[in-house]
Amino acid sequence: MRRDAAPLLSVEDLSVEFRTRDGVVRALDCVGFGIHRGETVGVVGESGSGKSVMAFSLMRILDPAARITQGRATFGGLDLIAASERELGLRRGRDLAMIFQNPRTALNPIRQIGRQIGDVLLRHAGVPRAQARARAVQLLVQVQIPDPERRYWAYPFELSGGMCQRVMIALALACGPALLIADEPTTGLDVTTQAAIMDLIDELALQSHMATMLITHDLGLAAEHCERIVVMHAGHVVECAPTAELFSSPRHTYTAKLIGATPRPVSSSDDLAAIPGGLPDLRGDLPPCRYRARCERYAPLCDGPLPRSEPVPGHLVACWKPL
Amino acid sequence: MLEASLVATLLEVASVGKRFPVAVRGAARGAEHFLHAVDDVSFSVGRGECVGLVGESGCGKSTLVKLITRLLDATDGRIWFDGHDIGGVPAAHFARVTQRAQIQMVFQDPTDSLNPRFTAFDTIADPVRRLGAHAGPEAVALRVREVADLVGLPRELLRRYPHQLSGGQKQRVGIARAVALEPALLVLDEPTSALDVSVQAVILKLLEDLRRRLGMSYLFVSHDLNVVRLLADRVLVMYLGRIVEMGGVEDVFASPRHPYTRALLSSVPAPGEGGAGRRIRLTGEPRSPIDPDPRVCRFYGRCPDGLARCTEEMPMLKVTSGDHFAACHLA
Repeated sequence: MRRDAAPLLSVEDLSVEFRTRDGVVRALDCVGFGIHRGETVGVVGESGSGKSVMAFSLMRILDPAARITQGRATFGGLDLIAASERELGLRRGRDLAMIFQNPRTALNPIRQIGRQIGDVLLRHAGVPRAQARARAVQLLVQVQIPDPERRYWAYPFELSGGMCQRVMIALALACGPALLIADEPTTGLDVTTQAAIMDLIDELALQSHMATMLITHDLGLAAEHCERIVVMHAGHVVECAPTAELFSSPRHTYTAKLIGATPRPVSSSDDLAAIPGGLPDLRGDLPPCRYRARCERYAPLCDGPLPRSEPVPGHLVACWKPL
Repeated sequence: MLEASLVATLLEVASVGKRFPVAVRGAARGAEHFLHAVDDVSFSVGRGECVGLVGESGCGKSTLVKLITRLLDATDGRIWFDGHDIGGVPAAHFARVTQRAQIQMVFQDPTDSLNPRFTAFDTIADPVRRLGAHAGPEAVALRVREVADLVGLPRELLRRYPHQLSGGQKQRVGIARAVALEPALLVLDEPTSALDVSVQAVILKLLEDLRRRLGMSYLFVSHDLNVVRLLADRVLVMYLGRIVEMGGVEDVFASPRHPYTRALLSSVPAPGEGGAGRRIRLTGEPRSPIDPDPRVCRFYGRCPDGLARCTEEMPMLKVTSGDHFAACHLA
């Protein structure tokens, strides 16, 4: 694997807080990982674990109530945390693209989808106005939208959710980004469509060395398309490992529980195990290990500052008592 | 499965079809066009049986569910429930027939399907008050508490509104509402697709447990094949309004006979199963559901092994082995 060069995206000790009426929510706490060129890294965890907040902070499109309190994030030499809005404006959509979770709210409701794709091409890819339409149609073909010539003129409300999702993907891929942040890109799509879209992402990773951060709650999907997986829980990265390794020997109890809760082709409902408890309240004082209250392996030792160990090279785990 | 054919039939759907009139741009004046959402669908659900219904969005799963729960009137065909012809009752009158209480539904998104101004108690009490035989507020309250216990919803949460509940708790309220009258048939439309895996596991176990305890039949609609495999005894695969394959769940998953089922199964992501290499890619455009040619197989054009015969004669469901059926000339 390509472990020689520095990673394309590197995140270190990133912490994000939200100021709310009921106190400060510590949504991300000292999150760190890297993504290399051409690599697909999965980010998994329950809803509320901070996956989307992390994506938003890397794109610098966080809610005004949020504040990045510490940490660094560099993307191909650009400091994403310190960069000016102007610098970011030039890179977002071109080198750094994102697929949003809810296509209906992410697309402009009063502009035809073909024109929305054209806007990106004109603004970022330097495509001449005369060719924008043909290129946009080509992109619609690429994401397998039937009857692309006609759909070019469709408004988002005229398309199904799955179709809108494909338009989102076409928008994100329009300029051949170096890094794609895909926040649940195929949620709500049929398995056959999901497979076709993930194949397209895989193909771009292979051909143009696009790096992908795939945020998903579907472990099966992450397993099939990612080289490495980052497991998040309550704003912490609890484990990060190559995919095969993570599934064969998870070190964090939470990862093991998450795998156990996923229905697989060969299991009965008796094999399905729920994860006890829920995410902790992220306001106020939190123990160093945020999984503490749900963990069956808790020992007084766990109240110490969260360790980061590397039992096997490339396999990181944040736990005092790894499996 | 052998048991399935031995138990009495609860629901019988015979040649049911639903066509919606549509406006087609550039069509000749006076010409009528129809979208064939459900076309010649026949199947049955036995007592205590769980039948899974899978297929891509737009294949007619939801329309079929609405026909069975009698929210829509079928264009043709018959629906028998517990020996009564409920297909003949107009949807607008169905709320007044006795079978209404016997068919209940659990919806996909618990946030959208609960009344935001009803507490959990009111939500569960609503069907009990309207359709149940419980006289007086005390009897109703007692029943609501019983049902809450049954679905594992802590009683103190009954006073809360949907926005004060978590996703899993909301779905428990949705399930409690559906089972409050102990229906014979529970129709579940993607009951876990809006939930996290950890919560999904709990809800799936709950559904399995409830079926065992209350002896209900399930019609379980899902696009997650792994989930269907866990719960269902038999599975129906739909494609563009028609059932293309039907059979025991193990049988269909182990040896799918229709090319669409094969493509569907090969697309399910699974850790450590060889990934994209085993996948059957579907190319080509789906056929239009508007005025489809009755002679052409609906899957033709996307089918990896379509023949000339597939455009001349619509393949009908036929037995391939035991109670395994497929609608393909090559099956």
